Amino acid sequence: MSLPDRIDPPPPRRIYRWDLDKTYLQTDFESLRDLFRTAFQKAHEKVAVPGASALIRELAEQGDSRLCIVSGSPKQMRAVLEEKLKLDGVQWDEFVLKDNVGNLLRGRFRALRGQVGYKLPAILESRVNAPVEAEEVLFGDDAEADAFIYSLYADLIAGRVDERVLSQVLEAGGVYPDDAARVHEAWKKIPIADPVRRIFIHLDRLTPPAHFTPYGPRVVPIFNYFQAALVLLADGHLTAPQVLKIAVEMVQTAGHNIITLSNSFQDLLRRGLPLQQAAIALSQAMEGPNALLKAMRPVPDILAAFSKRLAALGTQPPPPRVQAVDYVSLISHALPRTHKGRTLKPQS
Amino acid sequence: MVGKPQHITIAFDVMGSDHGPAEVVRGAAQLSLESPHIHALLVGDRPVIDEALAGIKHNGERISVHHAGDYVGMDEKPGEALARKPESSVAVAARLVAEGEAHALVSAGNTGAGVLACKRHFQLIPGVRRAALATVYPTRGVRGAKQDPFSLILDVGATVEATAEDLVAFAVMGSAYARIISRNERPKVALLSNGVEPQKGPPRVVEAHQRLSQMTGLNFTGNVEGIDIPRGTADVIVTDGFVGNVCLKMLEGVHDTVMELAQYAYKESLRWRAGLAMLSSGIERLKDITDWEQYGGAPILGFDRIFIKAHGRSRARAIANAGKVAAKAVANELGTAIQEGLAK
Repeated sequence: MSLPDRIDPPPPRRIYRWDLDKTYLQTDFESLRDLFRTAFQKAHEKVAVPGASALIRELAEQGDSRLCIVSGSPKQMRAVLEEKLKLDGVQWDEFVLKDNVGNLLRGRFRALRGQVGYKLPAILESRVNAPVEAEEVLFGDDAEADAFIYSLYADLIAGRVDERVLSQVLEAGGVYPDDAARVHEAWKKIPIADPVRRIFIHLDRLTPPAHFTPYGPRVVPIFNYFQAALVLLADGHLTAPQVLKIAVEMVQTAGHNIITLSNSFQDLLRRGLPLQQAAIALSQAMEGPNALLKAMRPVPDILAAFSKRLAALGTQPPPPRVQAVDYVSLISHALPRTHKGRTLKPQS
Repeated sequence: MVGKPQHITIAFDVMGSDHGPAEVVRGAAQLSLESPHIHALLVGDRPVIDEALAGIKHNGERISVHHAGDYVGMDEKPGEALARKPESSVAVAARLVAEGEAHALVSAGNTGAGVLACKRHFQLIPGVRRAALATVYPTRGVRGAKQDPFSLILDVGATVEATAEDLVAFAVMGSAYARIISRNERPKVALLSNGVEPQKGPPRVVEAHQRLSQMTGLNFTGNVEGIDIPRGTADVIVTDGFVGNVCLKMLEGVHDTVMELAQYAYKESLRWRAGLAMLSSGIERLKDITDWEQYGGAPILGFDRIFIKAHGRSRARAIANAGKVAAKAVANELGTAIQEGLAK
């Protein structure tokens, strides 16, 4: 970014919203022991999900985007988390953390685990100040209710969800009245627009992809960030050389190889994502002189692996149908994962 | 011969199993979660595979799909079916293994079609004239570092009339397989005959006995009789496809009859029922030991590529285990071990 741009930045053309734990950071808090370990980890001990920092850096490359992080980690961890992001070369514009101590002191125990009452108002309030034309891509994971919250957010600002459904959802999600009021207030301030292009759900828990089918093709469950990069290439957010840089980082730092990458590519094709053009662009980028690719394998091998995975499938299926999301029937997804009312059966 | 790969890809013939494609897909999905170094290549009807895969936990980085629109049914004649269906899943999967797209093949479908597909696409290991279909059979003894209760019988149907030379090759192949899969350093190899004396049996068995006795690097223990199979006297039992198949069917029949008798006893008398109840923990232990699903499948030995034939009734766990067995055979270069054994 040039100096004048840094002093007086242009309005963002794109906003990327990220969750942190299990989306950007490899976090384990399945047990109390894990929770303590995570809380006392130093910045250099924290490990990012392979490809995540490279993806964020490449998305910021154009200089016309904004990175907004909303994490369920407690505010007390801000210093460590910020240090970790800096270590990874990630620059952010907004960084919201959860006030767990405040919730505890005020006896708001539901808010400790609940995500809807925390994330929904936070991202709606962030959107209030965004330009109407700024499009958005959101990144979450399958550990909590990210797909539900992000989809609801997208449909709320697009005017596809009415007040009655919103109230039902807030009630079922155990949202406290003051947080619900914040949701309504921010929502009313946002001009109707349809800016959310994609919602990526990192399959940290390897939840079956069909679990997210009810949210329609906008939600893309991903096994890794190479998959996100491929879709973002097809969507025009990244160029093919940028995708290759992300792939190379995953190969160099996380043990990915040509098999895992080509399988990941095919996995998306099988789910009906239109990636043929992206594959062609990627092939062309690989054919040019690119020192980075030496980190992977001889280029003909890479091209062959991708071509084989593509050819192995026969006829491409039609892309998934766009459909209205029935939030009332998916209300259990709004609950914390450990809640007894939560269902995780794949939906048809 | 195929070298030792860093990542092993197993081609699964998804179609043709008794429980339908979803069960094989579930097995491969389970494998993708459990074994980071193994990749699954699912060969079969793509829409069916995609649908099954989407609804189950799996790791998409370790699974790929190859569409094959046809398959050979269990009741079809292998030769005719393969001629009519060159794009059947088992034929395509074998071809992909031969082309190096995968390192081994696992199928729970029609055994004959599997063997024939391998014959058409794989090469025999130098020194092997005929492939052998092996089977595992639960015995009284355990063997190797894994305390494996299974012994290996080969051949059970691939080569109906084996020569002395074939029997020797079977012995070497079975020994190499037991050494690698059961981690049994010196598996006891025996010839099946109608007496333990070296001169007992038809001329080819007598000749094979002579030749095996002179071989170094093979723990040949002589002849065994049928009674020794369930006793576990030997770790590898060598015979021809005709006798082996008769033996296998008889052993299966005995097992089924014992089960039926137990059921009869359970229904017939309260005293017997009480007795069976008292034995229940022992019966459960017996079931654990004889659970063939743990083993995964049996190999077709003699080809330069690995083929593990899973039982037609295999559930996901057995399929996943068959994939692991295949990967282990690849990782330990079974083909090279057999070739080296034959040279001694």
